[in-house]
Amino acid sequence: MAERLIYTVAVAWLALTGVFLLVAFMPGDPAYSLAVGIAQERNITLEQALEIAHRLMGYNPKEDLWGSYVAFLKGIFQGHFGYSTFYKVPVVEIVRQALPWTLLVLLGATLISFLLGSFLGAWAAQKRATFLEPVVTMTSAAVQALPPFILAILILFVGAVRWHLLPLGGAYAVDMAPSFSFTFGLSVLRHAIGPMLATALPQLAAWTLAMRANTTQVLGEDYIRFAQVRGLPDRVIASRYIRKNAILPLVASLAVGLGYMLGGHTLVEAVFNYPGIGFYFAKAIAVRDFGLLTGLFSLIVLAVLAATLLAEILYGLIDPRVRVRS
Amino acid sequence: MRRVYEDYLLPVWRNGKSRVGLLILLFYLAMALIGPRLVPLDLRSRFSQRYLPPSLAHPLGTDYFGVDILAQIVHGSRLVIGLIFLSSFLAVLLGAAMGIARGYLPGWPGRFLEMIITVFLVIPTFPALLVVAAFFMDKDLGILGLSALIALFLWAPLARAVSAQVLSTRNREFVEASRILGMPLSYILFSDIFTVLIPYLFVHFVLQLKAALEFSVGLMFLGLAKFNPTHWGVMLNYALYQAGALYTPQGYHYVISVVLNIVLLVIGGILLAQGVEEIFQPRLKEYE
Repeated sequence: MAERLIYTVAVAWLALTGVFLLVAFMPGDPAYSLAVGIAQERNITLEQALEIAHRLMGYNPKEDLWGSYVAFLKGIFQGHFGYSTFYKVPVVEIVRQALPWTLLVLLGATLISFLLGSFLGAWAAQKRATFLEPVVTMTSAAVQALPPFILAILILFVGAVRWHLLPLGGAYAVDMAPSFSFTFGLSVLRHAIGPMLATALPQLAAWTLAMRANTTQVLGEDYIRFAQVRGLPDRVIASRYIRKNAILPLVASLAVGLGYMLGGHTLVEAVFNYPGIGFYFAKAIAVRDFGLLTGLFSLIVLAVLAATLLAEILYGLIDPRVRVRS
Repeated sequence: MRRVYEDYLLPVWRNGKSRVGLLILLFYLAMALIGPRLVPLDLRSRFSQRYLPPSLAHPLGTDYFGVDILAQIVHGSRLVIGLIFLSSFLAVLLGAAMGIARGYLPGWPGRFLEMIITVFLVIPTFPALLVVAAFFMDKDLGILGLSALIALFLWAPLARAVSAQVLSTRNREFVEASRILGMPLSYILFSDIFTVLIPYLFVHFVLQLKAALEFSVGLMFLGLAKFNPTHWGVMLNYALYQAGALYTPQGYHYVISVVLNIVLLVIGGILLAQGVEEIFQPRLKEYE
């Protein structure tokens, strides 16, 4: 376990070093446009403004490479992920606003797709040799083929533009102030449906196919035959022997899947104008805010690595066989 | 040449899935190669012909600027197809090179390569691609540069598979025999080990086509590459942000034609990949 931890830290360090090198060897000074703005705002010289901008971004090209590298890593360790030149706030501030929306959509989509997918998969496997199994399998394969952001465009077009069932974008109705009222909650849900569907459908298909494959494999195991010979009722065999063993490997990929979705969510949020992490990621590209871009990326990398490590620990706790093997 | 036909092309053609996938890909390949000569593209704006529905003169209708949609799709396919094949090819080259190097290098250089492969395996690849592409956004990378950029985030799974394969093959009897016979390293690498790897490279090339398509369309959609306006990703960007075809009911055929072509191409890639995996999986198992 300690070995895994060291490995994860090493991978995180390599990835962050890559980000730093990109910023360091970028032509031009990323703080320049910010400095111009500050100079005009406060009526000071450009040089003074550049100094302020460098302090805000936590990065100075005049320092030697090693010094700014150490400062960069130290900053991340202390929770400073840089400064957004477009929004003129620290990246952490933007994350604080955006993360709840992304988590709402991703956790909701993951939960629904995992529960429904593992149920459908087990059901399809147990219905082998009927017409239902190929129907479920084929549909899943077709849905899985759709890239999530293409699906997002289709959902937006059909659901919002043609049939007016869904809102065109945003996280809640523009004429509402955030509160804990029922109507506000309803508006939040209505706005989350589009991005949630676009993320959940391909996932649902993937879980269904994986669960079907696992269940089919478990069905062929000797201990299932033995349980039947012992005269256990089918209901007990299905829940305690088949589903339990088939779902175990999926639990491990649950956290990994969440991390993966955090990365692939950029385009979906961009399509729905949904103000989560991915939306700001796309925004950072559109307005060339490199501070925001690299800060968000560093955060996404750390989140994915943490999720992967957590998944491995969890899996070890659930499945004793893994502990013995490693 | 004959072996290539008997070992690769014939089985792919005989499998139902991969045959359909191959036909779809060949259709788009033909569209990219000869299509632009058959369908002339006229990008001049004719606002009086805005959002014409599909007709004989315009089989897929016209867009916001009154430009024929079919012509745009056909001319854009050249870049779409070129990008996915080239980046998939470069990813196979890079993955094979890194995998073989990792499998053959002992001690800490090998372990360092292993770390690099792991980094590219675990980081979320699409955001990473976006970050790197954002730094090159003002340069015209050309099709080769853009493909290399996409390939940079595709090669890692192949490198992992290849390195595992090389590690297990280098101690097999026939490699041992070559070594005792005093064959040069280049012979062992390219004759003994490479032959074992060919099915892997083939499967991964096909598998990567789908990812390469999603990556390139995503890049273009976010406006991260300077390229001609008929790439399908750029067309989607126009639909959403510039001309707003997505938000006008008359513009539906514009959105639908682009999306349908992307989906059909993805399905072609997936069918081919599934078929190819079915064909070569038993053969891959033999080596393990």
